Formats: sequence, C-alpha cells, structure tokens
Amino acid sequence: MVRKNRGYITLFLLPTVALFIIVYAVSLVILFGTSFTEWSAGRSPVFTGLANYIKLFTDDADFRQSALNTGIWVVLQSTVHVAIGTLFAVILSMKEFYWKFARTVYMFPNIISGAAVGMLFLCMLNPEFGAVNSIVRLFGNADYSQNWFMDYATAFLSVTMTWLPYAAVVTILILAEIAAIPESLFESARIDGASNFKINLYIIIPMLRNIIGTCVILSGTSMLQKMDIILMTTGGGPGNATMNLPIYIYKTALMDNNFGYSNSVGVFLIGFGLIFVLLCRNLFRIGSSEH
Amino acid sequence: MRKSLYKTGCTLAGMLMLTMSITACGSGNSAENNGAAATAGSGNAAAPAAKAPVKISYLTFRVGTHASAKMEEEQIKQFNAKYGNEVEVVVEEIPSDAAYVDKIKILAASGDVPDVVMGKDGINDVLIKGNLATPFNDYLDKDAEWKAAIGEDALASNTRDGKIWSISDQKQNIGYFYNKEMFEKAGIKPAETWDEFMSNNEKLKAAGFVPLALMTGENAWTSNLILAAMIGTNGDNGKAFMNTLHPTDFNTPEMIKALNMMKELLEKYTTKDALGAGYANAANAFSQGKAAMIANGPWMIGDFSDPAKSSEGFDAKVGVAAYPDNSLISTYEVGYMIGAKTPETRDAAEKFIKFKTGLEGQTIALEYGNVMPVSSEVQPSDALKEKYPIMVESITVAQKTQLHYRTLDSIVYPNVTDAWKNLYPKLVAGRATAEEIAQELTDIAAKNK
Repeated sequence: MVRKNRGYITLFLLPTVALFIIVYAVSLVILFGTSFTEWSAGRSPVFTGLANYIKLFTDDADFRQSALNTGIWVVLQSTVHVAIGTLFAVILSMKEFYWKFARTVYMFPNIISGAAVGMLFLCMLNPEFGAVNSIVRLFGNADYSQNWFMDYATAFLSVTMTWLPYAAVVTILILAEIAAIPESLFESARIDGASNFKINLYIIIPMLRNIIGTCVILSGTSMLQKMDIILMTTGGGPGNATMNLPIYIYKTALMDNNFGYSNSVGVFLIGFGLIFVLLCRNLFRIGSSEH
Repeated sequence: MRKSLYKTGCTLAGMLMLTMSITACGSGNSAENNGAAATAGSGNAAAPAAKAPVKISYLTFRVGTHASAKMEEEQIKQFNAKYGNEVEVVVEEIPSDAAYVDKIKILAASGDVPDVVMGKDGINDVLIKGNLATPFNDYLDKDAEWKAAIGEDALASNTRDGKIWSISDQKQNIGYFYNKEMFEKAGIKPAETWDEFMSNNEKLKAAGFVPLALMTGENAWTSNLILAAMIGTNGDNGKAFMNTLHPTDFNTPEMIKALNMMKELLEKYTTKDALGAGYANAANAFSQGKAAMIANGPWMIGDFSDPAKSSEGFDAKVGVAAYPDNSLISTYEVGYMIGAKTPETRDAAEKFIKFKTGLEGQTIALEYGNVMPVSSEVQPSDALKEKYPIMVESITVAQKTQLHYRTLDSIVYPNVTDAWKNLYPKLVAGRATAEEIAQELTDIAAKNK
C-alpha cells in the first residue's frame, strides 16, 4: 500500500521541495557562503575565512548588546507574553460576561501593522503632546513627564510594552485547543465536585502543554525578526539600548555597506533560533501525547 | 558504497550551488554593467528615426506629502509633454527618503539599479565603487548649453578623478528661520557671533519661549545644520573639515567644541521631545509657534503659508537669517546619476536628467518646490516673489554671506549620518563625553566599506 502511494507522495511533495530549494535553501547557502567574505554592494565577495566571526565574538560591543537585548526579548516574549495570552484564553473559555466583545477588542493591536502601532505609541508617549505625559502633568506641581523612548531608564521597557501585552494570537490558538477538549472530561470533574479553578488548573492547563509549547516557539521566534516597531520608536537607541540583532543586521548591511559581516550576524541569528526551537521542543515534549 | 557515493554527490552539489550563488552575487561587476567604461551617446547612431519610446526606470521618494512632490510631478509631466514620444519614464514611487536609499542600495548589491538614480546619502559612492554608473563627461562635452546651465561649481562638486558622476539639481543655501514676534518680545536680533547666539537662547527662554526646534531622530537634520555651522565657523580647520568629503577623523577640537555646545542646546533650549524627534516634530514646533528658531532651507517657505501646517498669517512673522560669523551652509545636491546599462537607455536617461537639471527643470523646481537653482540665469518669477517675500529675503541673505560650508549629510559616510540618532541621546544623558562621541564617530566612519 505504502509502495503504491509512494509515487503520489513524491509527486505532491515535489512542488514544495522545489519552492523550498528556490526560496530558502539557495538564500541560506548564499547567506552562509558570503558570511565568510568581505562583500559590499556592487563589488564581488572576497573570501576572508573566519575573520567576520572572530571579529563578531571578540571585538564588537554593539553586536554583544544587540544579542543580549534579543535574548531578553525572546525570554520575555516566551514567558510573560505567552502567560498573558494563556490567561486570557482560559478566562474567555468560560464564556462569561461579554467574552466575544472582549475577544474582539483584545485582537485589535494584532491586526494593526507594526509601523502603525509604533506611530501610535510615539504619539501617546510624546513628551510635548502625548496623552501619557499629559496625564502625568495633571498630578503634582512638578512636571514629571519625560521622554519615554529616549531616556535610558525607560527606553527598553517602553519599546517592550508596544508588543508584550498584546497576545491575541496566543489566545486564539489556545482557545481553539480548549474547545477541542472533550466536554465529558469537564462533566466528570464537575460530578466529582471540582470547582472551575481546579478544572482549569488540573485539567485544562496540563492538556494545553503541546499548544503552549508551540506558542512559546512562535512568540519567541517572532522576536528574532522584530524590527519595524523598534525602528519607528527608538531606532535602536538611545545609544544601543534597544538595538536587537535584526536592526544590527540592517545597519551593518545598508549603513556600513558591509554585507559579508552582516551575513555572519544573520548566520548567528539563525543558529540562535534553531537552538531556541530545539530547546522548546524538548522542554514541552511537543508532539508526544501521553495525557 | 552507495551511501558514500550519495554523500559525495550531495557535497559536490552543495559546493556547486555555493560557488554559483557567490558568482551570481558578484555579477554587479560583469561586463554588462561596466557602465563607467561605456561611452555616452553611442546609442544615437543605431537609433532609427521612428520607433517606440525607450522605457527607462526611475524611482522617486518625492511623493505624497514630501515638500518636493509637486515639483517632481510637474517636472515629469512637462518632460512627458515634450519628450513622451521618445522616452517613457516608468516611475516607481517610494514614499520615504530612507526607504528609497535602502532600496537602491539593495538593488546595487545585486547589480541592478534603475536607469536614473538620485545619488543621495551615499548612493553615489556605492554606484561609483560598484562600477554601476556612467559618467556625464561625454554628454556634457557635446552640449555646451546644458553645461553652462549647471555651472562649473556645481559640476566640480560632483567630479571625482575628472569624471562627472552626477548632475546637481539644486543648490542648498541654508540658514535659519526665526519668529520675529518672539525675537521682538525677547528684545533680540539674529546673532552675529556664537556667544550672542547662546545669549539669545537664554533671553528667549527668560521671555517664556522655547528657543530652538531641534530633532535628533532620522538624520538629526535641524540639529546637524547648527552643528555644521558651529564647526564650519571655527577657524580654518573647522571650515576645511566642513568642506572635506568623507572625513575619517572626528577627533578635532572644532568637533568637540561644537558637540559640547549642542549638548547645551539640547539640554536647555529646545522642546522636550527633541531627543528622538523626527523632522515633522521640529517643523511643527516652529510652524505652530512653539519654538522661536529652526535651521532649515528655503524649501520650507511654502509651509509657512500652508493652512494645514501653520496658523493664518504665520508667514508674516517669519524672518530668515545667516548663521553667526556671517556664514551660511552652501552646498550642491548630489543630484542624478545614470544607472542604465544599454547605450539606448543611457541616452534616454541622459535626456530625462538633462531636462530635470537644465534651465527648464530648474525653473520648475524653483516655482513649484522653492528650490534654489544652480544657474544664476534662473530667477524667481514676480508671482513667486509676491507669494513668498521671504524667498527674496533668503536670496539676499545668501548673497551677503562670506563664509560657506557644506552640510554634514553631504560630507560624511552614510553610516555616520545614521549614527547621530543614537549618539545625541548618549551625549545628553551623560553616557559619553563629547570627546568619546567624537571617537565613536571616527570608529563608525572606519566601518564604512
């Protein structure tokens, strides 16, 4: 039977494999290959061996700061962001009060483009005319308003707040998983006298392990591409306080005109992403279904 | 055995792919793109008399709310009316200066630039180094009228090793605009020395006004104009620095002194949102009467009577002044370059650029974009003078100044221009001294490839 279907399987897989090779594999080979070269726009790459990588790990403070910021954001996104999304999903799954309205409102920031959200926050936090500082000025005699995005003390958190609480995608994925849990399980638990809290804690959450693991991977890896909002709000500043690896890649390639070095950072970013995904897969035992 | 053969095959295929990929990436230097070696005008001989218009690609950022959008639209419209049967300009609109620069650089990396390119913000360097542009020497040698319309100085500013790589479409004479009402209330007049300039700031502040509309986001434009003036007026070394293309050493006493002065301005004499603000914020602060001064060029004049940007009658309150020490930023734009690869498209690109930068194009730019022409033959019409009296004032101020220097944007590497947005906050927050910022600028310039 398997042998009979093998031809069809190969036939249907071919377009995907071909697309993968053309779109991803070739790009990856170019990225990896040119990361060992000195290459700037309009010129041919010149092989320089491990020079880019040696410089990257020994003599580049901006890279270290970018990698650190990226790491912190990945951790925050995989924990706080996913926790907020999960909590919201569990609350919404109870289908109480105006849950459909709440779900729709919660979805809004996720359907607006990153650039527009950045612009919105820039206006809200503007020290001259922003709503937040206007409210701050209403209290007390002294003017406590400040330049949230350009103050070293607040910049990192201000940028983080533009995406961290808006976990609608996580909520929707988890809501779908909750909906797939057989109703008979809840009924049995209720017959045994379990409260809603205990049902959530001992039945729903353990059964969500797979999907939470998937959400952690999705949320964490989204931080490996985060660029638009940061560019709109702080541009990586003040200094390099909010610089991350994608912005560093952009700056090295397009501002320094150093594509070879930029690609070595790209290779590091891919490696970082792969390790993160593998760790999450093992941690959440994604794919196994022992419950 | 089969397994080992399979592994060897895969390895060979991978190596082949890598080699092909790298070779493909470097195709920017192929014979086809050997633009610098091409001779201009070679397409004329082969061109038949009647045939379909030659298509040329042109990307522009002067669209939408851009100050020069009207000018661009009018130039293309008039070009089409005159030469539409010979050349078809395929316009792609990029609604952001920064996005335009990024896109051209990415295209240059693959050796595929548009036929007509505006060489701003380091694009000219990339195209010249990558052998992706055709110099204008042959074209200009055949057309004395066009050469005269641009002028020797403008041509010299874009000449390297005897090759004219781009044609300037405008001269930038940049001083600063001030709010006459606020100046009167503070009892001051435009400063003649930097001490007086700082004292004016203090007097304006004491009178309850914010003295300066500064911004450090984007390319820190309005702040860096003042920084350039501070450096350019600081003796012969300062003037020389501000007229040097691609300075690599920023560790100079002039730069350090100017950075310290800028720190004071950003700390004490500007709006609270100046750190990180974009051009629009600074322009708005001045046009809405929230700040007394803004450093900027004549293209802003139209905004003062635009009801969407300024209050009614605001244009009557605006005066224009030179920087202290009777000095002014005076520089030629990089202008347009030929990126076309075939003789036919090169000739068509040259025709389009000639129209834009010739007397007709300069007139349109002046009338529709308040852009200073490079030729003295092009003068503002009576209607324009009546509509924008401050334009006449700007020209008079420019004629009276004796000391001239360029903008920082026009002399430094693009990665230095990009760095200001992160360095100014560092300076103001006290995370780095002026000396350390100067060293960082030097290091950043050294990173440019």
